[in-house]
Amino acid sequence: MTFETLTLLVPELALFALAVVVLLIGAVRSSAYVGRGPLAEVSRGPAGWTTLLGLGATFILTFTVREGASLLDGAFVQDSLALFAKRLFLASAAISLLGSLTLRTGAFSRRSAEYHFALVASLLGMSVVASARELVLLFVGFELMSIPLFLMTGFLKREAVVPEAALKFFLVGTASSAMIVYGMSFVYGVAGSTMLSDIPPPLRDGPPLLMLGMAILLAGLGFKIAAFPFHMWAPDTYEAASPPFVAWLSVAPKAAGFVVIIRLYLAGVGTAALVWTPVIAVLAGMTMVTGNLMAIPQRNIKRLLAYSGIAHIGYMLVGLAALSSSGVAMMLFYLVAYTFGNMGAFLVVQAVAQSEQSDGIDAYRGLAQRSPLLALAMLLFLLSLGGIPFVAGFWAKLYVFWAAVERGMYGLVFLGAVLTVVALYYYLLVARRMYIDAPERPEPVQVPGLLGVAIVACVIGVVGMGLYPAPWVTLAQRVASTLFS
Amino acid sequence: MDRLPILSIMTWAPFASALVIMFFARRRPLLVRWTSVAGTGVSLVASIWVYWTYDRVRAGFQFQEEFSLVPSLGISYLAAVDGISALMALLTSIIIFAGVFASWTTKQRSQEFYALLLVLVTGVYGVFVTLDLFVLFLFYEIAVLPMYLLIGIWGSSGDVRPQGIFGWAMGRTGVGTKEYAAMKLTLYLLFGSAFILVGVLALFVATGSRTFSFLELQQMRFDPALQSWVFLAFYVGFGILAGIWPLHTWSPDGHASAPTAVSMLHAGVLMKLGAYGVVRVGMGLLPDAAVDWAWLVGTIGCINIVYGALSAMAQTDLKYVIAYSSVSHMGVVMLGAATLTPNGLNGSVFQMFAHGIMTGLFFALVGLVYEKAHSREIFKMSGFGTMMPGIATAFTIGGLSSLGLPATAGFVAEFLTFLGAWTSDYRWWLFPAVIGAFLTSVYVLRVAGQIFWGPKSADPHFQDLADAQGPEWAALGILVFVLVLFGVAPSIAIGPVDTATGPLLRRLIGQ
Repeated sequence: MTFETLTLLVPELALFALAVVVLLIGAVRSSAYVGRGPLAEVSRGPAGWTTLLGLGATFILTFTVREGASLLDGAFVQDSLALFAKRLFLASAAISLLGSLTLRTGAFSRRSAEYHFALVASLLGMSVVASARELVLLFVGFELMSIPLFLMTGFLKREAVVPEAALKFFLVGTASSAMIVYGMSFVYGVAGSTMLSDIPPPLRDGPPLLMLGMAILLAGLGFKIAAFPFHMWAPDTYEAASPPFVAWLSVAPKAAGFVVIIRLYLAGVGTAALVWTPVIAVLAGMTMVTGNLMAIPQRNIKRLLAYSGIAHIGYMLVGLAALSSSGVAMMLFYLVAYTFGNMGAFLVVQAVAQSEQSDGIDAYRGLAQRSPLLALAMLLFLLSLGGIPFVAGFWAKLYVFWAAVERGMYGLVFLGAVLTVVALYYYLLVARRMYIDAPERPEPVQVPGLLGVAIVACVIGVVGMGLYPAPWVTLAQRVASTLFS
Repeated sequence: MDRLPILSIMTWAPFASALVIMFFARRRPLLVRWTSVAGTGVSLVASIWVYWTYDRVRAGFQFQEEFSLVPSLGISYLAAVDGISALMALLTSIIIFAGVFASWTTKQRSQEFYALLLVLVTGVYGVFVTLDLFVLFLFYEIAVLPMYLLIGIWGSSGDVRPQGIFGWAMGRTGVGTKEYAAMKLTLYLLFGSAFILVGVLALFVATGSRTFSFLELQQMRFDPALQSWVFLAFYVGFGILAGIWPLHTWSPDGHASAPTAVSMLHAGVLMKLGAYGVVRVGMGLLPDAAVDWAWLVGTIGCINIVYGALSAMAQTDLKYVIAYSSVSHMGVVMLGAATLTPNGLNGSVFQMFAHGIMTGLFFALVGLVYEKAHSREIFKMSGFGTMMPGIATAFTIGGLSSLGLPATAGFVAEFLTFLGAWTSDYRWWLFPAVIGAFLTSVYVLRVAGQIFWGPKSADPHFQDLADAQGPEWAALGILVFVLVLFGVAPSIAIGPVDTATGPLLRRLIGQ
């Protein structure tokens, strides 16, 4: 352990330190905690604010890391993909925190430290996953990422639907972990090594056991990113958990899953990777179809966004199915666009849910007349998710399709393009409630200040990327090109 | 810049006035309207000027403006007009200028209404003048999306009761309501745009991901197999907007539910956008496929003509009659283009113009009648001619043009198209076309006779109805004038159009 090693691990060490600090704050606070009333309000504060500042600091620290360096004989890398993913995790966690700091329920006050500790721990797991190039490390990272997520899903345990959803998420999650381990055992058996860099050489001959192992691994990862047919947990989980958390849950763990897929199936694999094109293409197609069709009958905005999120995973898989540098780049761009659009939408859901006590899409009736700016923000997010020009989602879809067209996958692109129309149908149903239907109550929806900040951040992201996507494209292309050099 | 960017002024003037309306005209309805008049007026003057000074001898694309938007992808803002697009831009200007006056009496949320309408018009101009396929697609989306809110908020729900064996299913989707119509129209058109996007991407990748420029793509000779399916994608994509059968059903529902100015603009101009797309992008870039698929385009055009006319005859709602007549007339446009003859193609473009003006006039009139009589039921209204002679006269002139009476623009267009059909490879196309013209005269005269020229109705609701007033006269006057002007002197339009269709045909059939 030289000093240089430590500088490479700065983001992870910072997160670890942050986790310890938050835990300590919780310990101090809970012993000092005397009861309800004003003190409850105060005790809500320190852990959350500390976490927020810590995340900001860690985000800045990621820029001090020397890009492209590796540790432990290449088992842990800080390449541009890892750093890109880490910044995405941190930024999305910060946006989610801005939303959850405004939650007024008792549990968030009493057990604030617990919640934020779980968040930071999960983030640490994601960071490890993003950097791991060794199977065991990868698995440990996955577990560290997932277990706090189960906990956070079940955080409001006294509400009726929450334990069921948390249990479902937990069972599916552990099953997927088991599949990942099972798949890894095959891979290790054939390759004789747990290093990712040792997998491609035997892959060239395509031994059946190795392929089987990789296929099982892909299924396990499919659970993590909620791709068809492993998507069932998403709607129930999203419906039960608090919106700011769901906003993060719908983005960060999936990004982590995608990073692993890229590392396992594409990077450094060469032309042998093309074996997976049909598999990923079929997964992409089925995921888009299922997500979009299942979203249509939803009357609960969180379930609707859950299914639409599944559909978006399908679109990202389209970019991945191209198995090319531009395909990966476009998928990463899509991920960023989806992050802003989806998180923004969930934050608006949070604002409306706090005011209306309802997650039904009927709660959005006449929102344009009650709170024009909030409605406009939601409209922008929905249009971005729907892929309409001048907001981020349009470029995301366009680029993903472009990457697929370059590979000649016209069928998949047609399917995706037609399904965007289906998606616009259910997004427009929400827009219709906001803009065309008359409001049931005249008074505006109250948006807490911090939540407003988070929403504005997402709007800036969505519109900024929509009007000037070039820097993001360049960034994504640079990240992807380092994987294929 | 050595000269005025006249095309950009034309395109963006409505957008600028929309911004002014949104930011400075809150709760000042009159300022909203006059700003709209100013914005569209600037566009009107610009488009007349472009049309007038267009150099017919030099022909080709003129008034070119270009600057690069995304150099790495070869996307640039490239605007230029040839004879066809100059005429289409003129049509857009006339319709929207009249449309601003026709919707003068909009009461509810008029600020947003005018702003959205003007944004939409910017999209329409953009599609007509841009030569970069990517930017064209962006403008196309701008022209389509505001429609959802325009119909959803300001539209009217019709009295259509779902019938037939699927009546129960239609009842559940809310057929006839404005929400249903808005959603149907938007989804159909976005469905089309999905096809267009895939086609554009395919061509872009076929150039080696270099350029979206129409002028450069035109120089390429794409692989026949690629041409074939991309043409079909463009035909379906743009064709949906042009109302090709059997993908036309959004049009009657949408146009019947839309507020007056939106119906005018949509039936008058946006459907032309679809036909223009098929001719400009489909036939212009994929000549081999255009020739191969001409039989399909022409045959479906024939079905449109007859099917639309028969459907129009069966309607009892005045707005639906006009909407279905649009479906029928757009068939003439597509048929003319498919003949691949000079006359047919000129007739097709001229029909786009003539039908645009005509249907704009019709929808303006229907809007006026509805506003005065609060009814669209044809067989309840009767004898309005004595109370509103101005509206009655304008309706009759429009109707006569619709059925192709000489000395109106409709005659010139249909005559040229029929001539083209007879000299094309598929002579039998002439018969459905002529049958369609006959059916048109049946339903138009029947409607005009019933509503305006019959005995006066005894219904107490239909007494002492007013004629058109003030700004409404401006709308009617402009449209009737243009309709007759281009009927008497068609060469005003045919001249520039011919300079554009000639080279297109040479590329298509090598003459």
